[in-house]
Amino acid sequence: MSMDLLLNAVVAGLLLGGFYAAVTVGISISFGMLDVVNIAHPAFIILGSYIAYIVNSTTGLDPILTAIVVLPAFYLLGQGVYQVFYLSFEKRGEEALRGLAFFFGLLFVTEVVLILVFGVDYRYVQAGYIGPTWRIGFVDLPLRMLVPCFVSILLVVGLQLFLARTFVGRAIMAVAQDQQALRLLSIDPVRIKRIAFGVSIATAALAGAFLIVIQPVEPSVGREFIGRIFAICVLGGMGSLPGTVIAAMLLGIIESFTATYYGPSWAPAVAFGFLLITLAVRPAGLLGR
Amino acid sequence: MRSSTFLIAALAVGAGVFALALSHARITTNQYYLFAGFVVLQYVVLATAWNILGGYCGYVNFGTAAFFATGAYAVVALHKLGDSPGRYLSGTPAEFLMPLFPLPMPLMILAGGVVSGIVGLGMGYLTLRLRGVFFAIATLAMAVVLQTLVINWDFVDGSRGASIIRPGRVSVGPLSLSYIEYLFLLMLLLAVLALWIARLIERSRLGFGFASIRDDELAAEASGVPTLRLKLIATTLSGALMGMAGAPLPYYSGYIEPSATFGLPYAVNSIAMPMIGGTTTWAGPLIGAILLGTLQQIATVTISSVVNLLIVGLLLIVFVIAAPVGIVGLIQEFLRAAAPTRPNLRSTALIAIASYCFIVGILGIIFSLQALQTASASAVWLGALGLFVGALYLAASYGLLKLQAWGPLLASLAFGAATLSAGTNMALEGALQGASMRWGAVAVAVAAICYLQTRDVKLLYARHSSAPPVPA
Repeated sequence: MSMDLLLNAVVAGLLLGGFYAAVTVGISISFGMLDVVNIAHPAFIILGSYIAYIVNSTTGLDPILTAIVVLPAFYLLGQGVYQVFYLSFEKRGEEALRGLAFFFGLLFVTEVVLILVFGVDYRYVQAGYIGPTWRIGFVDLPLRMLVPCFVSILLVVGLQLFLARTFVGRAIMAVAQDQQALRLLSIDPVRIKRIAFGVSIATAALAGAFLIVIQPVEPSVGREFIGRIFAICVLGGMGSLPGTVIAAMLLGIIESFTATYYGPSWAPAVAFGFLLITLAVRPAGLLGR
Repeated sequence: MRSSTFLIAALAVGAGVFALALSHARITTNQYYLFAGFVVLQYVVLATAWNILGGYCGYVNFGTAAFFATGAYAVVALHKLGDSPGRYLSGTPAEFLMPLFPLPMPLMILAGGVVSGIVGLGMGYLTLRLRGVFFAIATLAMAVVLQTLVINWDFVDGSRGASIIRPGRVSVGPLSLSYIEYLFLLMLLLAVLALWIARLIERSRLGFGFASIRDDELAAEASGVPTLRLKLIATTLSGALMGMAGAPLPYYSGYIEPSATFGLPYAVNSIAMPMIGGTTTWAGPLIGAILLGTLQQIATVTISSVVNLLIVGLLLIVFVIAAPVGIVGLIQEFLRAAAPTRPNLRSTALIAIASYCFIVGILGIIFSLQALQTASASAVWLGALGLFVGALYLAASYGLLKLQAWGPLLASLAFGAATLSAGTNMALEGALQGASMRWGAVAVAVAAICYLQTRDVKLLYARHSSAPPVPA
């Protein structure tokens, strides 16, 4: 085992982990804090990828910039989805079985619609930072990984500040713990949850842009992320953003090692093993209570 | 009905279906219906198996495809082993095992079931002690992982996919069957078995235990229900049945490869069918599977297999939002409100009209989508019109069953619109092909409109629209 291979694997894993943090942060909010099991989250990410692709291929606008522009639209979309979910399931107290089926249907329908519209070809974007690679000593830093990782960390830090410092952010954290208490403070928990869910879907727009920068995308790649994001979310301690980042980096490193030493075709299996071990050994997560 | 009587009745129905399918295939020398029927039956088994865990216990399994493919790949592995047992086995075990190969299909199905059952047990053991959500997520991820394993497993030809040559004729008792007839028969038996098991569970202590888990797991645990053990039984049983449904697949299609076998359609269908049919009884998955399975066969032939998946996904979403009790539940609620003592002529007729509206509505939407895909402008207009009428039909069927005041009116409108469009169509095309079916449809529509205007029906809907909603 040579030193530079090892170091390169670690760095690649950290970069990958930064991207995974952006993919998971939405789930950490919706599943970890709001207890809404949004398994359709990867579908929204792929949707974000395709929007970045459409805008990039027609106008040549930078994919990550595009994602930032469409953030409000995704926010509103998330609010709409939560409203439907709330009225149809949460209010009736049926979210467990039927809510899951609802999100599963959403995941599936989005995928099928994308296939119908775009076909199953892989799509990719053009941007100045996709080709070049920085080299520090013998460590490779491909810019197409570095830029998403950097923006992703910014995103998570921004969200953490929002949650910890603003009134609405604190209300979101509170909704996770005690809805009754919020009502006593005359805050509408449903409104807070709607906002939080909107934020969680908005992060999917960015994550989608990162995804299509990192790799070509076709409608069904989203499914590979379901295992990963829930594994990270659970290991991160369900709704703790710092925990999410640490868990994402950890998974990134493990996957990168697997890919380096055993071959990339085994990488998808890693996340699942990761999830199972987490569930069996430490369901409260790394930073969980 | 006692469950032994039920089994005999189900077997009799199965024998009838088989006789019909066989004679049709032999007379017309067209085996298409056997191939299509096999898929529908396969979905009956999958939906029933899913419902044992999902409907009775309330635990969502997104990994149907994983269990299904486990069964299929177990059979591929056995087949490969049977091809040249000497190469992989040696010494005494080889001498014992050699004469057994090639294994007969029923044994292979059993083997597939055992392997999937073990996978189910293991999955359940690791995740079922936690909240149900984790189990659901784990099953979702499991499909990806098992697929990765199979892709990297060279013995079953990995991502290249494995080809299997279907054997020739098989003799079952006095009958000499072609292999697809034989597979159809086996799947039919499997479907009967699955339904019998589901019904048996429903009426046993096991079923009551499952229901207590579904309704309130904490309370069940507190009153001494061994919840973990029951959940493990359900997962194992359900997984095993799914594996058995998948086992004949390699012989059915002659070639299987991981990405299709682990495909999402199996998972979606096996969730959608019970949800649309109704999750609380054995009849729900059966109705859902026959309905959706047949529709998908039609849609695959007429439009495309992607569009039919879209329809299934949309139906799933619509049903979980608008009619969470499913078709069986809707009918039960309707009967409770419209004919509390016992089903009478009026309620039966209305159910028949509503079912007709539902089926015609969905068929209308499928064919309209087909028309929309063509280039000619007039076909697009007809398609758009058809979509509208189809939606009208679906809404009417919902309104009729829910005893809404607008139900009969909407149904009359839908029938009227359909008659008009059928009339225009016939006038346009000169109406030679399928004319008798169209005349039949027009006759049904006119009869239904007349019936919906009778005083009896009006009274029913007037009474219930003013009364408070009927509690479930």
